[in-house]
Formats: sequence, structure tokens, C-alpha cells
Amino acid sequence: MAHAAAIGDNRSGMPQRRLPSAKKSDRQFKWLLVTPAVLLILAISIYPLVFSIWVLFVNYDFQIPGHAFVGLKNFQQVVTDPVFRYSLWVTVALTVANVAIEFLLGLGIAMLLAKSFRGRGLIISIIIVPLFISPVIVGQAWALLLQRPFGPTNYLLSQLLGHEVTIGWLTEFPFNFIALVVADVWQWTPFMFVILLAGLTAIPPHVYEAAELDGVGGWQVFRHITVPHIAPMMMLAITFRLLDAIRMFDTIFIMTGGGPGTQTYTTSFYLYTIGFAQFHLSRATAGAWIFLVLTLLVIVFLVRRLLKPEAK
Amino acid sequence: MADVKIKGLYKRYGSFEAVRGIDLDIPDGEFTVLVGPSGCGKSTLLRTIAGLEEISGGEIAIGGEVVNDMRPRDRDVAMVFQDYALYPHMTVRNNIGFGLKARKMPQPEIDSRVDAAATMLGITALMDRLPRQISGGQRQRVAIGRAVVRNPRLFLFDEPLSNLDAQLRDEMRGEIKRLHRDISTTMIYVTHDQIEAMTLADRIVLMRDGVIEQEGAPLDLFERPATTFVAGFLGSPKMTFLSGRMVRVEGAVTIALDDGPRLPLPEGRIPDVADGRAVILGVRPEHISRATGPAAAPGSARLDAVIEFLQPTGSRTYATFRLGRAQVMAEFEAHDTGRPGETVPLDLNLSRASMFDAATQRAI
Repeated sequence: MAHAAAIGDNRSGMPQRRLPSAKKSDRQFKWLLVTPAVLLILAISIYPLVFSIWVLFVNYDFQIPGHAFVGLKNFQQVVTDPVFRYSLWVTVALTVANVAIEFLLGLGIAMLLAKSFRGRGLIISIIIVPLFISPVIVGQAWALLLQRPFGPTNYLLSQLLGHEVTIGWLTEFPFNFIALVVADVWQWTPFMFVILLAGLTAIPPHVYEAAELDGVGGWQVFRHITVPHIAPMMMLAITFRLLDAIRMFDTIFIMTGGGPGTQTYTTSFYLYTIGFAQFHLSRATAGAWIFLVLTLLVIVFLVRRLLKPEAK
Repeated sequence: MADVKIKGLYKRYGSFEAVRGIDLDIPDGEFTVLVGPSGCGKSTLLRTIAGLEEISGGEIAIGGEVVNDMRPRDRDVAMVFQDYALYPHMTVRNNIGFGLKARKMPQPEIDSRVDAAATMLGITALMDRLPRQISGGQRQRVAIGRAVVRNPRLFLFDEPLSNLDAQLRDEMRGEIKRLHRDISTTMIYVTHDQIEAMTLADRIVLMRDGVIEQEGAPLDLFERPATTFVAGFLGSPKMTFLSGRMVRVEGAVTIALDDGPRLPLPEGRIPDVADGRAVILGVRPEHISRATGPAAAPGSARLDAVIEFLQPTGSRTYATFRLGRAQVMAEFEAHDTGRPGETVPLDLNLSRASMFDAATQRAI
């Protein structure tokens, strides 16, 4: 503690009354303090990253002995794999669908609940419950609800529509995609809702009152007052959600297993299958790097947009 | 242009009554200031006139038309808020013109009206800036411009100068007064600042706890306050209150101060109350002067008091005296004040003093 306090004092620029020898041991001590953290980062983050760069250019496959240098062959194998390319499109389609629906739903609910009324706190508490549930459990729950022939979904639809419904929600196109989107939307709409609600409640009420007195109508109020006010929050919510949605894995693993066949393979799921089910680690690593670069393009664009209003 | 008539107005929030049965007639073209301490219901009253708060009872008529169930936008009133309430992402030009655009006015007319308002308020150089790029005083001008440009029949101001520093406040007060002279539309102005109320108003409506305590021309309220509350609220520094009793001695009427001398009341200022009645004497600082000459002037009473401390303001100096348990403040010329601890003879001008019944706190 004494050492830590001494370091703190040093920062404040106050005159110091310390012996030169103490100064030296202080310097060493602060390095000692950060060593565990540095070692941990080196061991579990930097080392694997550097190691993966080596893996990219050698043969690192549990089914083939040795680590022969293969040049760009790993990349070539991944890029020419139609399943990889298909999985990218699945990822894009699911990400866009999920984030768009969650955003619109979240915004709608947030606008409904922006004004205070009796029972609002309770409703908000209930709405955000899905956020606290592990995605695996969410996938499992939805799989049970949708499962043919025992899940209640088809039964309910049959009752509602008046004729027998036998949809294979987890195995039939396009219902398997609908099922995945429904589960994701159910879990993550509250995330959008919470952030957008925070944005909406931060809008000064006088601005709305001024608009009302100015005779500005409902849509114009939304377009010219609400949206500009919460635009930074919208960007934030979409960015966070997008970064997460791109990595979509858990619900697919549980609900469709990527199937039927490879129909619901997202890139994450594809990389998992190649690397940890088939143990083509070099190919999986090459695919992961390609995916990382593509993801970075999106991230850099979004984060730049996100930081823009702050800079003004 | 319109008058405003309010009858038996109530506004309740749950069991709390913010406005309790207010009747108020505001003639066309008048500048009315609603003033009172915070929580007195003045802002609530203003917001019910705007339609931003639903009323719980009574009636509001603007220009002879009952507006109880009319939406704010249909009432043809404009309001200026304390925090300006500008649209933050719109330029000054668009801020001012937005209401006209929303009402589908043709663009050339919008432009000419916006330019006219900007010229009147001296903000033509700021038209392409965003609200965050201009100062507080400029923002308030923009907010006023946004109200003026609509040419409404009624202007409402909700503490428009409270967020400005003292110097800007003085300047903007002048601007608002000039605005009213130029466009002479009915204006209702809410403030807790008695200087703003005194300087701006054709008529002051002084509120307290959801009811009107007194209304009238500023100088009427100042010189003839109906209650000790009004007397204490208007005027700075505050009026000094001295409690005492009416005592008649050999035909002369005096007030025997609770812990001090007897002050003979001048002719014409003798209230019609029973002997021995507890009363409160209210004297403003400007009616207490340092005694000169051998005897008090007619209508004044002389007494000696010890200076407790002095507050020079430059042009005038406020001297606080102790008189028994009461503190008395007097306004002196900047020099010739004496020193703290010194005993000074004072002349109280009783012909200008106010008297209140101690039980009811009402003027007698």
C-alpha cells in the first residue's frame, strides 16, 4: 500500500521527500505489479495470435502428421470452399434480418414506454428478462417450443388456422431461418429497447412542447426531433448488436446444428465445424483471419460513425 | 391579439392542488407578469393557458373562445421556455421557421417572416449556426424569434431569463420590453424575480400557494401591499417588519414597538383599529434616513439605533441596525453612513410606511 500511495503522490506533482534508493525499488515494484496481467495477456491473447499466423502458412491438421509449409494453400482451400462462401451470405442475411427487426421492434416498444404510466417499471422489468438468459438456454427453449411433433407451436397454429399444421421449424427451409431469427429477436430486442429508451427519456420534454405549440405533427416530430436526438444512441445500439450478431453461433448449434445439411451454417459455425469437428486447424485459422478482416471493415466503419458526433 | 379570461381554475396532481381556484382577466395587449416564490403555481398556471397541462376544473378563454379542450397547437399561442427548447440539430434559420413550415406556409413567406424576426432581434449573422454554437443570450433571442415569427395572438414566457447571467438578463429584459412595445400582443410572463416583475409588467399577479395574493399595477402593489407577504416579496432589499401595538395617548395615536420606542403615527395614516391591537409596521429601507436637523420632519418618527453592519453597493449603502430583537435595514447615501457599533439617529418616514394586522397579516 505504501508503495502504491507513493506512486499516486508522484503523479500529483507534489514535492517528494524520498531517498534515491526507495525511488529505484518503487520503479521495480510497479513492474512487478503489472507482470501478472501482462503475462496473462501474452499467454492467452498475444501468443495464440502470433501462433495463428504461423499456422496460416503450414499444414496444421490433426489428420495429417507434420507441419509442412504450404504457402497460401490454406487460404485457397477456404476461399474455394462453396460452404464457406455460402456461410458468409447466411451470416450477412441473418445479421441484417436480426438487427433490423430487433432495432425496429426495440424502437417501437421504447417509444410506447417512453412516457411514464402506472405499471411501466414492471413492464420494463419483464421485457428485459431475456437479456439475462444464456443464449444456449434460449436456443434450447425455442427448440422445445418449435420441435415437431411435440412442440406446442404447430398445435397452436393448427387450432388457430383450423387445419393441421406440420411445419418442421428446425429442418425445413425457410422455417428454420425464421426460427433462428425469432429466437434471436426474442433474446436481443430488449437490448435495443433499453438503449433506445435511455435515449428517448433523455430528450428534454420542453422540445416536444415547443414543437406541439409550433403545430408540428406526429411524423414530423419523430423525423425532426426524436430521430436526431437519439441518432447517437441508435448508432450505438446497432453497432453493439451488429458486432454480436455477426458471431451468431449458440442458437444455431442448439436449434439446427447448421442443418439441414449445411443450410444454416453461419461463418462462425462453419469455422467451428472445420476446426473443432473436422480438425482442419489450418483451414479454420485461414477462414477465421478472412472473417476477421471482413468483420473489421464493418467495425471500423461503424465505430468511426459512432465517434463522429463526439468529435464535433 | 386576444384577451385571456380565467374562471375558477383548478389544477391537481393527485391530492396536491397546484392551482386553487384562480380568477383572472387579462385585457388584450397587456403585459402581465405572474410572480411568486417557487412552487406557488405560476408556471402551472401558464402551462394550463398554453394547454401543456390539462386543467382539473374551471375555464380558460382566449379571445372569447373557451380553449379547455383545445390542443396546444390550435390555441394560436407561442411560448418561450427557460431552457430555450431549441431544436438542437437545426440551424437558427430552421429553428425559427420550423413552425411555419409545419403549418405549410409557402417558403417565400417563411423566408421573409424569418428574416424580419431575425432583424428585429439582431441575430441575422447567426442564421446558419446551430444552437450549440451560439451563446445563451443568443439562444434565447432565437427562441423569442421562433415565437414572434408565428405572429400568435398570445405570448407566454416561462422564466425566459433565469438561465442568463445578470448582465445579459438586464439587457434581455429591455429587449422584451421593446418587443412588447413594438408588437403590442398580449403577453403573460412568469418569473420569480421581483425586479423583472416590477420592470416589465403592466400588471403584476402575485401568487402564493396556488392562489392570487394580490394583483395590480407594479407601483400599486409596491406602495400598497395587501399583505405582509406581498410587502416582503416586492422590493429589494426587503421591507423591514416591526411588530407592536396600537396605543392611544391623549388623542395621539402611536405604535408601541414590542421592544422599543413609541412611534407617533401621522395624520391620515391612522388605521381604524381598536386600541391595544397587535399590528405590524412595515418600513422600506428607502424610507429610513439618517436624521438631520433638531426634530423629525412631519410624518416621520425619530429614534436612535446602533449600526450593526454596512453593505455598500457603490451608489447607495445599506445599513443594518438592531432595534430590540428586530433588524432594520436603511438605505443611505454612499458616504456619510457612520461605522458599525456607532449609534445613529434615524428618521422613519411613517407616512410612507405600511401597517398590517398581526393576526391576519393583511393591510390596515
